[in-house]
Amino acid sequence: MSDLLQDLLPLVWTGIVTGCLYAMGALGLVMIFKATRVVNFAHGNLAALAGFVVYGLTQAGGGIGWIAAVLIALAIVVLLALVAYGLIARVSEASDLRGTIATLGISLVLQGVVQVVFGADIVNLDLPVPNWSATVAGLRVTSYDITVLAVSGIVIAALFLVIERTRVGIAFRAVSTSAFASRVCGLNIHAVQGLAWGVAAGLGVTAALLIIPSTFLSSTTVASFMLQSFAAAVLGGFSSLPGSIVGGLIVGVTMNLFSYFVTSELSATFLLVLMLVALNLFPGGILPQRGGGSRA
Amino acid sequence: MPEAVSVLAPRATAETPPLPRRLTVWLLLGVLALVPAVAGGFWTYSVGVCMANAVAVLSVGFLLRYGGEVSIGHSFFLAFGAYCTAIVERELGLSVGIGLPVAAAAGAVLGIVFAWPSRALSGIYLAIATMALALSVPELILQLGPIAGGYEGLYVARPLIPGVSVDLQRYYLPLVVLALVVLLLARFRRSRQGLVLLTARDHPRAAEAFGFSRGYARLAAFAISASIASTAGALLAFAASTVSPNSFTLSTAIYLLVGTVVSFGSLGLAGALAGGAFITLVPQLFAAWGDWVPIIYGAALLAVVTLGHRPAEVLAALRARLGGGRRDA
Amino acid sequence: MLDAVTATAAELTVEAVSLSFGGHRVLKEVSMDFRPGQVTGLIGPNGAGKTSLFNCLTGLYRPQQGRIALGGQSLERMPPARRARAGLSRSFQHVALCPELDVLENVMFGRARLGRSGWADAFLPLPGGRAERAEARAAAMDVLRRLDLAAFSDVTPAGLPPGTQRLVEIARAIASRPRVLLLDEPAAGLNPAETRQLTAVLRGLVSPELIIVVVEHDMDLIMQLCDRIHVLNFGQRIASGTPAEIRADPEVIRVYLGDSDD
Repeated sequence: MSDLLQDLLPLVWTGIVTGCLYAMGALGLVMIFKATRVVNFAHGNLAALAGFVVYGLTQAGGGIGWIAAVLIALAIVVLLALVAYGLIARVSEASDLRGTIATLGISLVLQGVVQVVFGADIVNLDLPVPNWSATVAGLRVTSYDITVLAVSGIVIAALFLVIERTRVGIAFRAVSTSAFASRVCGLNIHAVQGLAWGVAAGLGVTAALLIIPSTFLSSTTVASFMLQSFAAAVLGGFSSLPGSIVGGLIVGVTMNLFSYFVTSELSATFLLVLMLVALNLFPGGILPQRGGGSRA
Repeated sequence: MPEAVSVLAPRATAETPPLPRRLTVWLLLGVLALVPAVAGGFWTYSVGVCMANAVAVLSVGFLLRYGGEVSIGHSFFLAFGAYCTAIVERELGLSVGIGLPVAAAAGAVLGIVFAWPSRALSGIYLAIATMALALSVPELILQLGPIAGGYEGLYVARPLIPGVSVDLQRYYLPLVVLALVVLLLARFRRSRQGLVLLTARDHPRAAEAFGFSRGYARLAAFAISASIASTAGALLAFAASTVSPNSFTLSTAIYLLVGTVVSFGSLGLAGALAGGAFITLVPQLFAAWGDWVPIIYGAALLAVVTLGHRPAEVLAALRARLGGGRRDA
Repeated sequence: MLDAVTATAAELTVEAVSLSFGGHRVLKEVSMDFRPGQVTGLIGPNGAGKTSLFNCLTGLYRPQQGRIALGGQSLERMPPARRARAGLSRSFQHVALCPELDVLENVMFGRARLGRSGWADAFLPLPGGRAERAEARAAAMDVLRRLDLAAFSDVTPAGLPPGTQRLVEIARAIASRPRVLLLDEPAAGLNPAETRQLTAVLRGLVSPELIIVVVEHDMDLIMQLCDRIHVLNFGQRIASGTPAEIRADPEVIRVYLGDSDD
């Protein structure tokens, strides 16, 4: 029994740590979906591009400081996200599905750009934090864990503060409830939607930079990291920001348990089954909705 | 009221296709039948793979057209058909002549197995579920163990008809099956079930009011689409003579969608060939600049989606032009 | 044309049906019947519950209490697709024809449920399926002729005037050989000439076996078309009777005059 607990505790802990990152990825997807009714399949590719830009600037001959490199990457990716939004805004008014197909096109282009500029190699990219670890109550806690929890905690808290407490946040909520009504009320919905894309890209970049040290970076691997975020968003009902955080944590922990106790070689299959089961048991998402959920 | 009729678009499909369109189809088939006689081995091989891919493009196009749904997971059914054929040959010593029908039938069942738990999902949820489906393909193949040949994959070498050049068979089987699938789909458009699926796609509540639930429509559309995809997988395995996990990735599935979109969702011979050729030949022609392939695909997808109309609308417009604008009053 | 039904054709009955949404009661113990051989109107001021009751009949809503039955068969728990098998058919307030199918094919879809041809027939030119398709075509064409729509058989519905589209929907519903025809605001969006044509067509459909139910705002249409009328107000039935009786009913007058005062 205590043996099982000894196994379980670290699994749950690391699951929560990675779950925070999935949650951050999911938050971006959900923000974009709420604001523009489009599922952004390019989300992961944008984040991967940021990873490569940081890698290129700091390691492959760049020699720029880490923080400066991250800021440059962030600027590039946010700009690209706005371009992507500009392309998709025209399409998605005709049909949501068409906008979603367009994001697939953007994701292919970005994947190609990364391959052309940075090659198809696998690279490593670490965080500039000292390597450190401590054992607390039988649990090994690393500086990486603390960094991830701190950064994602701060970022998510800031995001919720902005959405709940500021005028911009109110505008975002208004547009995501009804774009039409917001337009009637004189809101500049394109500005709000663009902002949602930009912020979502920022969240994706943050999540990617934090998750790359635990795996590696290549032009295609981020797609599978994105599957975790998609699963988290789906579990949360795809229209609920708190739901996607809970979804992220569930995905992080259950995936860890599954790969430890069953197999680590069927993670995509596991996520597929998890999503289908969740959608059949909780059609509106695992958290009760405050309205605004759309699925029919 | 009759004057209102004269300004209408001509009907999208006639009971029998107009003569010019039938002629194009026969002409195209004639040209394709002559390829091995005039082209070298490389082009015979390439066009053979094009035609197998055209069938795959049709499977995604069928789901888009009759189900109104986007799939980026059809590499799953493609892989299933391909491995079915390879395993039937390796384990039972039977050729693609058995492997292909087995793949088609089992593919339909597999389509239902996936569609059943996802029958209530639509649009984005289904697209995401199909993405997970695509990502699960390679790991599932590897889980099969030695029977599927691991990373190396399997060979498909047994000829359909012993004693006849295998290279020719690898070309003509996809041609015959492609022509057959196009013909069957044209028939399906006129069938009772075809009418049901099209109405259910546009007005699910109307279909329900006339006795056909959404679940029925979803399962039917998926079963047929998966069966076509599985058939295409069997053809690809035979035409390319090998199967391996890395030919069935998420990119494969997305490229199939690209093929469908650039053919404007057509379920006809010319459209399917255009889509199949696009996804087969672009990587071959740009072999030296392989990294540019996703950019080309992505740009093509964006161009059609942003500049074109909805696939169905473009299709209707194209048909109207090709059909010679039959009008009645 | 219509299926031979037992000598005493079944009534559609609503018994003590109650429906509420989140504590708000939209229907309160509503009882009424709809008789074969008649056109029955369902009217009431806005928010009276007539659309809710209609949706209970089609199966979109499930009432919390009460019973809806056709003949002896309970309908209230049946999903819409099974109600079609029980003999219910309908038209939609917002025309729900498939734009990719031509008018004839849309009407043929109406009788798709009656078909016996299987999946093999859908793909292969088997004799059974071919014969059935030819028969379905002829039957659909018959319905179009009856409704004076034969001229439009091979055009797509999108370009047709709203009145014609509505008639095509009714043709599609009739093609399914229903025992009950439910019409959801059939005159919505129609001009006076189209409304007159619609009235004539619907009167022409009356037959001893068919129950026709019309939910409608257009009072003139209701008065001309219906044999009987049920009036709802605040989720309750306040009157039933012939058009003349309804016109003279003091309660109905009060409700409608009060309504028009707003």
